[in-house]
Amino acid sequence: MADSTRIRLNFRKSLGGFTLAVDCVLEEKVSAFLGVSGSGKSTLLNCISGTLTPDEGQIAFGDEILYDSTAKINLPPEKRRFGYVFQEGHLFPHLTVAQNIRYGQPNPRKSSDAIDVLEISELLQRYPKELSGGQRQRVAIARALAMEPRMLLMDEPLASLDSTLKDRIIPYLHHVKNAFEIPILYVTHTFSEAMALADEAFLIADGVIIANGEPHRLLTAPSAMPIAQLTGVENTLFLPVTLSDEAHGVTSLKIGDQSLVIPYTDVEVGDIVPVAVRAEDIIISLEPDLPVSARNILRGKIQCLDVKSERTWLSILVEWHHLAVKITHEAREQMQLREGLEVYCVIKASAINRLWD
Amino acid sequence: MKITPAEVAALSLSIKVALLSLVMTFPVGLLVGWLLAKRTFPGKTFLNTLVMSPLVLPPIVSGYLLLILLGKHGFIGGFIYQTFGIEIIFSQLAVVIAVSIISFPLLVRGIVTGMESVPVELENAARTLGASPVKVFITITLPLAYRGVIGGTILGFSKSLGEFGATIMVAGNIPGKTQTMALSIFSAVHLGEDASVYRLVFISTIVAFVALWLTERFTLR
Repeated sequence: MADSTRIRLNFRKSLGGFTLAVDCVLEEKVSAFLGVSGSGKSTLLNCISGTLTPDEGQIAFGDEILYDSTAKINLPPEKRRFGYVFQEGHLFPHLTVAQNIRYGQPNPRKSSDAIDVLEISELLQRYPKELSGGQRQRVAIARALAMEPRMLLMDEPLASLDSTLKDRIIPYLHHVKNAFEIPILYVTHTFSEAMALADEAFLIADGVIIANGEPHRLLTAPSAMPIAQLTGVENTLFLPVTLSDEAHGVTSLKIGDQSLVIPYTDVEVGDIVPVAVRAEDIIISLEPDLPVSARNILRGKIQCLDVKSERTWLSILVEWHHLAVKITHEAREQMQLREGLEVYCVIKASAINRLWD
Repeated sequence: MKITPAEVAALSLSIKVALLSLVMTFPVGLLVGWLLAKRTFPGKTFLNTLVMSPLVLPPIVSGYLLLILLGKHGFIGGFIYQTFGIEIIFSQLAVVIAVSIISFPLLVRGIVTGMESVPVELENAARTLGASPVKVFITITLPLAYRGVIGGTILGFSKSLGEFGATIMVAGNIPGKTQTMALSIFSAVHLGEDASVYRLVFISTIVAFVALWLTERFTLR
């Protein structure tokens, strides 16, 4: 990203016993903030958008200071020109889709490109209550884009949608990313969304950034186990395709010398496919030859074992990939699991999700 | 049913006064309602208590306090008398002021209820879309609060039409000048003009019921 659109955040905000304190620079086109609910993600966006005033610090967009507690600068939200997509959409219920989109448009007579990118031209005459959840979020995104913002802030725009709908909206977010030359700050608690869209990721917990970096590096490293626990997921692997068999409905990926079978996906042999597996969807076995229907039994070694209050977390080295696995204490004790032990990871093909790339 | 010119005069005075009062109080009511519904500031509870007090005070007490304030030697009345030579007490202006004070809490209540129902998130969303606070008020808050605003307006208006206690204290009961519907019913009863009482009571009742019905229609779905 050019310097003129780089955003610098260095501020503090206390809200009812909770404190958000950030100090970071967003360098890439799409930055994701990943954290559980209550970690301060919405507070962060509200401070950036100007609907909430920090207690102290500075917020800058390129050379422009948006907020500075010592210089007593606090640009009101209407002067910041940051498009804000809310989790619940927050469409104006008394206005039609077209009127919602025109609301912030600098030239309301011109039709916005956002209408085409998000494919909502059919919906323009409807009222928000006549829209489905997915349509509502597309309109909310279009409304934020139509104001021709300098930056797009997205607060869990997919959180209120079910997983099928999410998969349908993510391609639209890709269109947005490619069609509009503005930085995007994307806040989510879902690992796969951050993986699918972001160029850089920040992990936020209890109001503090605990790690940042390139999304798949950051989130697949062994050190990321606490992060996996934090975000409720998950293992992400970038694996080459060895076989794609539409007739049998399977695609095979190569993981070292072993193979991983996933539900059929439209890819070519040799493509690299990003896939995700939740830590609790992996079963640990001491035997390789189990009479089970699961298609994947991967050999690996327990590299580290972390006993938490509710569950035991294992980091298992499969070839050179680390898999985070969540099991009960009871299972750990009965199976006498320990670091260095050779184990088998049993994974149903359908528990492996292809991520967007 | 034959209505006498005196009764027509009383009825039209009531309507005229209620309309004038509405024109005067509505903008103030919007501002006060917005402050009470959407803002926090020192003295908010005091402002709320002050605005709402005519609702719980006996109207005759509100009227008496107004009489003291607006009289020739009163704080406000004295100033106006000395500056403009105008005497407020026992004038039609006094009627308008009296009914305004008494109906104002009802108007504000409706506006506050309406505006409180508008989520602050929608207003913030409008701000991020480039709207100034004034534009947010006109395009988001007011249209979404319209049920409460209309409800409060109708209730306040009908209260104004029938106000009695405060009016008689500050404006007297002068036929053709300050004698409104309610006051002429009072006089008619005293003079034993039963037929006139029936007609006036009938008209008042109809007006009250229509107002209440309209309020319900606009405030309830």
